[in-house]
Amino acid sequence: MTIVTKDRALALAMLLLAAILLVESGNIPGKTAWQPYGSALYPRILLGVIGVLSTIILIRSFFSRAARSTSTRRSFRAYLVHNQKVLLLFVLFACYAALLPVVGYLVATLGFLVLSLALLLGVDSRRKVIVNLATSFTLAPLIYVIFRYGLRIWLP
Amino acid sequence: MAEFFLEALGHVTSPAVLVLILLGVLIGIIGGSIPGFTVTMAILVVFPFTFAMDPVSGVALMVGVFVGGYSGGIVSGVMLGIPGTPSSITTVYDGYPMAQNGEPGRALGIGVAASFIGTVISVGMLVFFGPLIASFSMNFRPWEITSLIVFALTLVAGLSNGALLKGLLAAALGLLITTVGYDRNSNLRFDFGFSPLSSGFEILPVMIGIFAFSQLMSNLEELRDEKGLKKKIETNVAIPYGTIIKDMAKQKLNIVRSSLIGSLVGALPGTGGTVANFISYDQAKKFSRHPERFGKGIPDGIVASESSNSAVAGGAFIPTLALGIPGDLPMAIMMGVLILHGITPGPLMFEQNPVLVGTIYASLLIGAVVMVLCQLLLVRYFAKISLIPQQVLVPVVLMLCAIGSYALNNNLFDIWVLFAFGIFGYLLWKAEVPLTPLILGVVLGNNLESQMFRALELDSSWMTFLTRPLSALFLGLAVASVVFSILQNRKINRALKARGAEV
Repeated sequence: MTIVTKDRALALAMLLLAAILLVESGNIPGKTAWQPYGSALYPRILLGVIGVLSTIILIRSFFSRAARSTSTRRSFRAYLVHNQKVLLLFVLFACYAALLPVVGYLVATLGFLVLSLALLLGVDSRRKVIVNLATSFTLAPLIYVIFRYGLRIWLP
Repeated sequence: MAEFFLEALGHVTSPAVLVLILLGVLIGIIGGSIPGFTVTMAILVVFPFTFAMDPVSGVALMVGVFVGGYSGGIVSGVMLGIPGTPSSITTVYDGYPMAQNGEPGRALGIGVAASFIGTVISVGMLVFFGPLIASFSMNFRPWEITSLIVFALTLVAGLSNGALLKGLLAAALGLLITTVGYDRNSNLRFDFGFSPLSSGFEILPVMIGIFAFSQLMSNLEELRDEKGLKKKIETNVAIPYGTIIKDMAKQKLNIVRSSLIGSLVGALPGTGGTVANFISYDQAKKFSRHPERFGKGIPDGIVASESSNSAVAGGAFIPTLALGIPGDLPMAIMMGVLILHGITPGPLMFEQNPVLVGTIYASLLIGAVVMVLCQLLLVRYFAKISLIPQQVLVPVVLMLCAIGSYALNNNLFDIWVLFAFGIFGYLLWKAEVPLTPLILGVVLGNNLESQMFRALELDSSWMTFLTRPLSALFLGLAVASVVFSILQNRKINRALKARGAEV
């Protein structure tokens, strides 16, 4: 079985990114008489640097003992088991970002705070529920008032 | 400069700005005192509130957070034995044992006093060296500025957790992020036909996403490993002022040495409070007549630690203001604040915005005084606040990050930018890629490109970067920093192997 290490995964991902952007850089208008270097040169230099560094990291991952000792596949499975809350929090944040323009700041923020606090704190005691609701129902309107009336910034 | 300083002092001492400095210091202390929250996070959370302010008010608020944040680590370090920020790790070595010996008030008082003197000395350094370096760097042309930015990035990358390759990779990624959207010639790059990308990424949501998400999520992951380690603390603390004055009187040399180390380290790119903290503590121990007492609750240790990490505040402003090159993460964000307020940090700032430079000096000094008052009067409340669980803190900070990103341009797309870079930063953090060079790359990317091509437009030969003495010196230093980092990594690996063989 091929063991994918953290370093190898990083190097491969970066090489893929560099390749995609290098192809995409072909769409950038080329050099002209008054732009002798063109707009693609600078990003291509950076993509070259990223490519070289990623290749070195990739090669090293086959020889470094430290890199070989960490199997990404195994640790990824363990990660999924142990960090469900972190992943769920990312999902909740994405829902929050999606709902903000639909239901508005107050409802979306209250929903995000109540759910994410319930996820992280738990709802197994009355005290935790009170902390959750008190935090959410105090902070969401308070931030709205500060931005709207104090800083005169409209929230969605 | 004196008249501009007095003019700035007039602005800063207006009641509204004083209230902002007070608020900034309070938030900074709270941010610094909550383990895992860090000064940088406090700065990021407060940043959006400055959008609608005038530059003087915004800068004063942010400087307040900066000063308060560097001193906030004392509280949790002394009371909980957990450093509130990485820059107060050595405060714990002697602060916590002193508190455990029944003298928490003495430990806190010494820490606060040392923090205050450290800040004041560093402001002196900033006032003296800032304009000098700025006037010298006025001679820099595009070649020198390009080479200096390259040097700053390689230095920061090399000093990042001993991971040189990943540090350089992160810096290049940071620079690449700034190439999205219209460039200097109005040509579109990397928009993939998606119109919101045509204006590029705003620095703020990118920085918050990369730093805050990885930090908050890592806090949550660490929390899982530390279940059942909650400590109970005594928050009823009395400050013995007489004893502290006597203690401080015996620490004159230590405090000056540690403050100078802090200022110097702060002025170097890629170092910051944590490095200053360890060097000063080590030097204080070496110069002490009783090195064996260090780690058991000796005032010398607390003084060395707190004066040096607070002195970083003034020192770190020197390259940011004089050269336009931030040395560490909090400074990179401070530079973002200035840019958002339409001010470009760099040598010209001393000529074009002298009042604002004076505002920074004055805010640092006033912030230091406010910090002492807040810490001494409110320490018991800060101790209680430092116990706020991460489970409550993380969702609240995420929400503030989202609203802050939106408020920048009233643009919902920026929240998605925040989210995307949050995932990106989190994955990079999991792959042990240092994030500071990446953020520095994002802040310096546009300037690097424009200076590099301005140089090439003036003289099409790339060799000019090597034939101009200062430019060649900076490039030589960049190469030297990479070589030094490689040698250092080898030395560490050899030491680790030797230790492994012994075990």
